[in-house]
Amino acid sequence: MTQQESTTNEEAEELRIGAFICECGVNIAGAVDCNAVADYISTLPNVTTAVVNKYTCSDAGQDEIKKAIKELDLNRVLVASCTPKTHEPIFRACVEEAGLNPYLFEFVNIREHCSWIHMWEKEDATRKAKELVRMGVARAALLEPLQSSEVPVTNKALVIGAGVTGMQAAMDIGDMGFQVYLVEAGPSIGGKMAQLDKTFPTNDCSICILGPKMVEVNRNPNIEIMSYSEVEEVDGYVGNFDVKVKHKARYVDIDLCTGCNSCVEKCPVEVPYWEFNEGIGTRKAVYVPFPQAVPLRALIDKSICIDCGACSKACERGAINMDQEDTFSDLEVGVIVVCVGYDVYDPEPNHDFGFGLYDNVITTMEFERLINASGPTMGKVVRPSDVVQPKRIGFVQCVGSRDVNSNIYCSSFCCMASLKNAQLIKEKYPDSEVYIMYMDMRTPFRMYEEFYNRARDMDIHFIRGRPAEVTENEDQNIIARIEDTLTNKIENLELDMMVLSVGAVSPESTEKIRQILKVSRAADGFMMEAHPKLKPVDTTLDGIFIGGMTQGPKDIPYSISQGSACAARATRFLAQGKALTEGITIAVDEDICVRCEVCVPMCPFQALKMDDDGKLEIITALCKGCGTCAVACPTGALQQSHYKNNQILAQVKEVFAYEEV
Amino acid sequence: MADNNDWEPKIVAFCCNWCSYGGADTAGMGRFQQPASTRVIRVMCSGRIDPLHVYNAFLEGADAVLVTGCHLGDCHYVNGNEKTELKYQFLEEMVKQLGLEPERLHLNWISASEGERFANFINDVTAKVKEIGPSPLKPEGVS
Amino acid sequence: MVEVGDKLVGYATDDEVRKRGASGGLVTAVLAAALEKGMVESVVVLKHIDEYEAVPIITDDVEEVLASTGSMHSVPVNLAKYAVDRKVAMPGKPCDIKAVIEQSKRNKIDLDNTYLVGLNCGGTMPPVLTKQMLIEMYDIDPEDVVGEDIEKGKLIYRTKDGNEKAISIEELEEAGFGRRKNCQYCQLKIPTNSDLACGNWGVIGDLAGSATFCEVMNEKGKRLIENAVEAGRIEVEPASDKAIAIREKVNGVMVKMGETTQEKVFTQMPDEERLPYYREALADCIDCGGCKLACPVCSCGDDAKCTLFHNLGDNYKMSMFHLVRLLHLSDSCIGCGQCTDVCPVDIPITRIQMSFSIPAQTRLNYKPGMNADEKPPFFEVMIQ
Repeated sequence: MTQQESTTNEEAEELRIGAFICECGVNIAGAVDCNAVADYISTLPNVTTAVVNKYTCSDAGQDEIKKAIKELDLNRVLVASCTPKTHEPIFRACVEEAGLNPYLFEFVNIREHCSWIHMWEKEDATRKAKELVRMGVARAALLEPLQSSEVPVTNKALVIGAGVTGMQAAMDIGDMGFQVYLVEAGPSIGGKMAQLDKTFPTNDCSICILGPKMVEVNRNPNIEIMSYSEVEEVDGYVGNFDVKVKHKARYVDIDLCTGCNSCVEKCPVEVPYWEFNEGIGTRKAVYVPFPQAVPLRALIDKSICIDCGACSKACERGAINMDQEDTFSDLEVGVIVVCVGYDVYDPEPNHDFGFGLYDNVITTMEFERLINASGPTMGKVVRPSDVVQPKRIGFVQCVGSRDVNSNIYCSSFCCMASLKNAQLIKEKYPDSEVYIMYMDMRTPFRMYEEFYNRARDMDIHFIRGRPAEVTENEDQNIIARIEDTLTNKIENLELDMMVLSVGAVSPESTEKIRQILKVSRAADGFMMEAHPKLKPVDTTLDGIFIGGMTQGPKDIPYSISQGSACAARATRFLAQGKALTEGITIAVDEDICVRCEVCVPMCPFQALKMDDDGKLEIITALCKGCGTCAVACPTGALQQSHYKNNQILAQVKEVFAYEEV
Repeated sequence: MADNNDWEPKIVAFCCNWCSYGGADTAGMGRFQQPASTRVIRVMCSGRIDPLHVYNAFLEGADAVLVTGCHLGDCHYVNGNEKTELKYQFLEEMVKQLGLEPERLHLNWISASEGERFANFINDVTAKVKEIGPSPLKPEGVS
Repeated sequence: MVEVGDKLVGYATDDEVRKRGASGGLVTAVLAAALEKGMVESVVVLKHIDEYEAVPIITDDVEEVLASTGSMHSVPVNLAKYAVDRKVAMPGKPCDIKAVIEQSKRNKIDLDNTYLVGLNCGGTMPPVLTKQMLIEMYDIDPEDVVGEDIEKGKLIYRTKDGNEKAISIEELEEAGFGRRKNCQYCQLKIPTNSDLACGNWGVIGDLAGSATFCEVMNEKGKRLIENAVEAGRIEVEPASDKAIAIREKVNGVMVKMGETTQEKVFTQMPDEERLPYYREALADCIDCGGCKLACPVCSCGDDAKCTLFHNLGDNYKMSMFHLVRLLHLSDSCIGCGQCTDVCPVDIPITRIQMSFSIPAQTRLNYKPGMNADEKPPFFEVMIQ
């Protein structure tokens, strides 16, 4: 125990601790003699009462606690039962209803940590339970009341990324009546979905269902689209974010441009179109991203522009402005939703399955652009080497997914994507032979299994195996040597074209926004949610939400659901107009603080600052209560409330205290 | 040294709320039986564990002290466990220099879903510590 | 014009100062000039009381600065803390300079406002033990000593009657006298971490004994020399190649001696002996707190984790106060020996601390007190 803090609270009032030992039916009582524990605990100093309940968390149990607080004038409550990770909020609310500060409540785990793991050692379990509760009593004696505070919330939202997820989130928030800034790094909203041909399981034309959504977003009076823009800086905390956005120069005045394409026709510079067409087909130096783009405006790629002025001459509205500069906006928002999407896995560096070595090995995204009716080949599926329709097409699944050499996760949409692509080929070119080389077919959701059955009925060949070796012959046909593990037969499959069903990876370009916001990264490289089961779109940072591919590979219906989920989670703050901050935070004793500033860089939430007078300033709204700064502080001036040194050490001491047997 | 068969070590385990405490819970939910040697002390983040808490535990009589938290990269507070790892280097170096047996101090990252792993860890450490006997720093009269 | 990196030989222009100075009074003259010309508001110097005693003073009186000239091997005080929150110039042994740099890492000293005139140091001696040594080994009455020198590994004392007696330091130290224990294994003899590194190694020929070798380590050092020359207080000339080589050689020998001694002193005890050794060694502690107060790196103030976590009643187990300091100084102990000097119950605190700090600093590849831009590893957020 330290000399600094005493064992009583500030007002030096008499401690009256109430201990409630739960039997949890037989879950605890089966191994722990709860009555013996209660008897023992009631002999400890400061314990006013120690009782046994059958189910402390039940209404009856909670009522008993509230009654005891009032009748016995308890000022600390201890419950010994299951894990605080489930019921701590319930009991804190319970004691608060009875008029006691919720942080004067202590939870001891004698179920998961005791009765369930010493099921047949009753004596040991009971002795251990006594010790655990004794530790809890010692800590309860030192607990102090804490308050969470309220911060006001600016009633505007920022959605970063205008793919289908971001668009959905923006629409939902906008429809609820709140202003949304929708920032998109590319020149048009729509994301990857705009590049797809058809979407499973309905085989709807992608842009046909996306296009109207894009128009809706554009027309929504509450949504301000900031295209070709990027977030540069974010400061502040939930409810009060200061965001700096850079609007990149298009060298085209978007208020004058109508997207008529006159400039594009005249431009003499032509290069492969990577950004939208996967390098198939070309674009000009000045270009409109795609026919359904929103905003439907041109932009100039100055890295290849030769400054000939043809576009300026062609434009009747004088929209070309070669001297345009980047501009900046400062936004104040209350919540941030991050839906920055994915990149397809690139099989080029490792030449997976011959990609990059043989012309006729392509990715599914390239395939989408080929079969898309408004794509560079107007929907004709042709193979790269001789621009001839391939009669035999093979799909290889799990490229860049489920692979220890690249990514071990499953990208979740690739099975369905190949089933769809295979079906489309068979529909368009009924005389083709289509093969799908797979490890497992994953078709879990609504209508997905039926979709799989449909593909099988269409005489598509399924080979359960992965090509062990891929070569090309003198006609540049692809030879895939593969074992069908269901028939145990090895064959050299000759294909005119092979399509790699590539998975999703987190784009490198999103690293910047991830670091600006300080969102954690999960093991698979995508951004990390607060809890994979219970909080799939929250992050550990209040007021910042992630959805869609940003939170991991998924398909369109799942992405749209998450877009709406983000909107719902975000609007909680906007609707209430205020946010509650963490009650467990940090406090500094200024008499002890020697201004060494070791603590300041420790905080990952930037909650610590030295103010102009050289004193330590704690931004309580940002503090999440991890306590790492308190460990770094050499003097002990920084203390984490609810986990102060004396509170922790009191528990340690009680482990070894002498017990009257 | 006391009769080893009867003597049970007392192990203090500092667990972080989000991962390793959850791992201990999952061990319980999975009914992975363990010796009654361990007393879990909950903190919000493994980064809250001051090496001085570890010393204190030894001086009070702990036969072993466990510092546990989330796997690197998984910390609920972004990088708390990385700070733990740094401080642990100092702690480990000091404990080695002091001559305390290395079996008495462990750092382990355990996620909330790794119940069996937690149980195995406790079983292993308890068995090892039983072999080497009570801590030389244990005060007289403390069991 | 003086440049950073210059190696000079110089002396004070004032004959008095030059004569009384240990090697030409250059350091004193530089400090005086800095004060005179307003580069600093005050100067930290040692005020002589006698051969074995001096007190640090912070003075703005140039005369007091000049009066302080002369080196005192038997006054092992550390001056670093006197520079805290002040604009001073100060002389310093390598360990004083290390401490100043460590304090600057903890925001206690602003290096831009602090001028550091480093002094070569082969080691200092504990005053009381030295007097005993004079009686026992030199057969000299301590009161009769008028001057002392260390030359070529020998400690020379000059007495009132004009006589001189020299005994090799090795012989003295084998008999338990000589330098303080931590000085014997110290390996920074030339203060390369200061603004000016001054000493008498490399002063040869007819200047021997009446001039100082001075290396300009950085911009501040350059300003100090230029200022002193402009003020007419010193004269300097470039050092010859021979002089530079001799200085290198002497330093090499001294450093090697330190390395060898360190290896001898810090042999690893067998595992099972260590804990009993540390417990016994620290058992005598009476909680006076002197070591913390005297430590020139410690910058925590009265209340710190070492005092707050410590409980008198628990001392029978093992002192938490010491455990905390051992931990918190693992990376930062500079081996200055102040703690051992002040301990009233003669616990070899420096040796104990260094037995933790040397392996820690080796493992972390970090040397405290050398580079103000290098944060102590304990202050880092994560493993680099």
